[in-house]
Amino acid sequence: MNILRVEGLTKRFGGLEALGGVDLSIAKGDFRAIIGPNGAGKSTFFNTITGLLRPDAGRVLFEGRDVTGQPPHLLARHGVGRTFQITSVFHDLNALENVQVALLAHARQSWSAWPKAGALHAARARELLALVGLSTSAGRIAGTLAHGDQKRLELAIALAGEPRLLLLDEPTAGMAAQERLESIRLVHRVARELGLSCVFTEHDMAVVFAVATHITVLHQGRVLAEGTPAEVRSRREVQQVYLGEAA
Amino acid sequence: MIDSVVQQLAWVQNPVVVARQLLAGVSNGMLLFLISAGLSLIFGVLRIINFAHGVLFMFGAFLAVSLVGLAPGTTGGFVSALIGASAGLAVLGALLEIGLLRRIYRSPHEYQLLLTFALVFILGDVAKLIWGREDNSVVTPQLLTGSTHAFGVTFPTYRLFLIAVGVAVAVALWLVLHRTRWGIFVRAATMDRGMLSALGVNTRWLFTAVFALGAALAGLGGALAAPIVAVGPGLHVQVIIDAFVVVVIGGMGSVLGALAASLLVGVVNAFGILAVPGAAVVLTFAIMAVVLIVRPHGLFGTPE
Amino acid sequence: MIRLAVPALILLGLPFALSEFWTFIAIEVLAFALYAVSFNVLLGYGGMLSFGHAAFFGVGGYAAAILMKKAGLPAGLAFALVPLAALAVSAAVAVLIGFLSVHRSGIYFAMLTFAFQMLLYTVALKATGITGGDDGMTGLKPPGALGRAFYYYYFALALVAPALYVLYRLVSSPFGITLRALRANPRRVQYVGVNVRAHQLATFVISAAFAGLAGALFALSSGNVFPGWLNWTASATPIVMAVLGGVHTFLGPALGAAVYVVLEVLISGRTEYWPLAMGVIIVALVLLMPEGLTGFTRRKDA
Repeated sequence: MNILRVEGLTKRFGGLEALGGVDLSIAKGDFRAIIGPNGAGKSTFFNTITGLLRPDAGRVLFEGRDVTGQPPHLLARHGVGRTFQITSVFHDLNALENVQVALLAHARQSWSAWPKAGALHAARARELLALVGLSTSAGRIAGTLAHGDQKRLELAIALAGEPRLLLLDEPTAGMAAQERLESIRLVHRVARELGLSCVFTEHDMAVVFAVATHITVLHQGRVLAEGTPAEVRSRREVQQVYLGEAA
Repeated sequence: MIDSVVQQLAWVQNPVVVARQLLAGVSNGMLLFLISAGLSLIFGVLRIINFAHGVLFMFGAFLAVSLVGLAPGTTGGFVSALIGASAGLAVLGALLEIGLLRRIYRSPHEYQLLLTFALVFILGDVAKLIWGREDNSVVTPQLLTGSTHAFGVTFPTYRLFLIAVGVAVAVALWLVLHRTRWGIFVRAATMDRGMLSALGVNTRWLFTAVFALGAALAGLGGALAAPIVAVGPGLHVQVIIDAFVVVVIGGMGSVLGALAASLLVGVVNAFGILAVPGAAVVLTFAIMAVVLIVRPHGLFGTPE
Repeated sequence: MIRLAVPALILLGLPFALSEFWTFIAIEVLAFALYAVSFNVLLGYGGMLSFGHAAFFGVGGYAAAILMKKAGLPAGLAFALVPLAALAVSAAVAVLIGFLSVHRSGIYFAMLTFAFQMLLYTVALKATGITGGDDGMTGLKPPGALGRAFYYYYFALALVAPALYVLYRLVSSPFGITLRALRANPRRVQYVGVNVRAHQLATFVISAAFAGLAGALFALSSGNVFPGWLNWTASATPIVMAVLGGVHTFLGPALGAAVYVVLEVLISGRTEYWPLAMGVIIVALVLLMPEGLTGFTRRKDA
């Protein structure tokens, strides 16, 4: 079964067509990379499927259910998690609290106004921090963490929602080459352990070829090619448009 | 009940009354324009809501009182008041910007708000200390007293003068903003400040100049208003509210918006008072709220 | 718990130590402390700066006054209903204003709340039949012994202390931590499943309701309420108190309120230029001590 199906997704900004009818299917267990030159529409794609932007046309189906245009907070409750290109954590809460907030929201307790929040879900929060390798930083203010650690924290926050699909927007942005591989391998390992399907955008081909099960190439708002890494690598259009530029 | 409404609106039939109210509305609008143009530019460039703008207006009016008082009724006295108020407020504005405002550009909004509020309190009391607590009046210069005939109607000459000055200032501002290098920087700053300093423009002095200009306009407005309002320590309280309404409706950062909205508010108030005395005021706030809800950048402002 | 014992004893013993005048001031401090702390739930915890919070303080005051003087109820009954009425009316008004305002953020949100406050000010000024217009409403007197400052103080304390405790539990609860996360990163918090607008609206309404309660308490203590309570010049008051005390601690604003009220009493007593003094204090505060009086005890996670 397809965990995510996107049909004819279109998004225009004034005269500019950022997405021109994107069709995409992600199978359960997929670890899908979406690549494409700058301006190809990758971030717009993510923002539109997750409800930050409303599509002008097309449908988004998550686990068979139409979720087109639903706002981010509802999509999160359905089981879609997301991380951001520019690290996005709760900078003046500590790492533990960052994860607790997500756990509370997942448990539908965000509106609970009497109990003391400090102890709630603390154990589970620590588990998630351990999973991403941040056990020792639980008490540190998120804004003071190193860039790479903030990315891990973001992953932990996303995982707190027990998503079945994880969308990662440039998960290795801003990292040095070696750190990037480690980072994506962590995500891959966690995804396998928890049975998650993942879609991530990426510029670094080494990262893509290290972990991706399938690749989708976007170009000027449309899908140019799709397939396993070997298949995509050999397609001439892809080489011309993208790999050729980077080579 | 229909009868009383019809009676209330009977004036609509009378072209003389309509013309007079229109003139009053437009001339008030011009005064409002002078204050709000500055306020709007200050917000557009400095991103600060200058609550003290009303007090600056009031200072202009008080300065006019003092200067005209030296040679009441004469053209020379009046002109020196206009120049004195504008220049004086430009200097005061520059000093305030350099001494105080500069330090809080990067502070959270609540600190900026508090600082301009503090200026209201401080300058308001300083005005009382210098000019006393009573209402003062300014004699209209001989040249501009009386009435003028036009289109079969008599209008107070001073009001026509106000409109002329308003138009002149609007044109001058337009020329400065669109035809001078400095003006282009100012307009660019209302759209993207970061880019401007990245281009090597000295934004520090730009900010000072903008604030000084805004203050000068407010001072000029105050001096021009002096002959037709009661110049007392409470003058600034209502003025700033009207200016805010105008700036919101017109669009924060847009001089054209300030002009359009000032005229709109001026005319609506002028006719509103005739039709439904109490409601005109409520109406302006309601419009302000609607604009903020539906189109926060106003008629002519740039969306964030 | 032990840490609270000393301040609690002081609070309980104050009326014995103070003159009647100063007991009135203590009551004013209690009311404004509640006002400032509830305002700070919105500002310090929620990251939402409202330029129009004085509207709710005023609405609460008018609700109390109208209930006491215009509702045609026996004084005792009317008085007993005042706290609930103030909370309910302020909350209701806040639902309306908040619903229209929270869609905008930052400066536009602030201007919207400001516009609504001015609207309400105009109503207070013009609806002479209900609100007494420009003259306001005077002669508000709590029934019986509560008309004396000594006893009214305990009445006020009995309302303010639990109210503060409720607010404290609120900011320490899941709702509160979610609110802080919302302030830190509104976009991110949506993605964990939080409905930002709803959360902000709820915070706005709660903050407004308690501000209204504070207004009612003060109205009955000072015996009157005026349209001036809703004028734009009043919208700085809660901000000053919160910043003065420190927006990063829960009770900081309460300290700010105490200092503010006492300073006002002392300075107004000596000179008519209290605005000038207040302006200078604010400038000093903003430029020299932006963290406020409790700045040194910043929450570790602020």
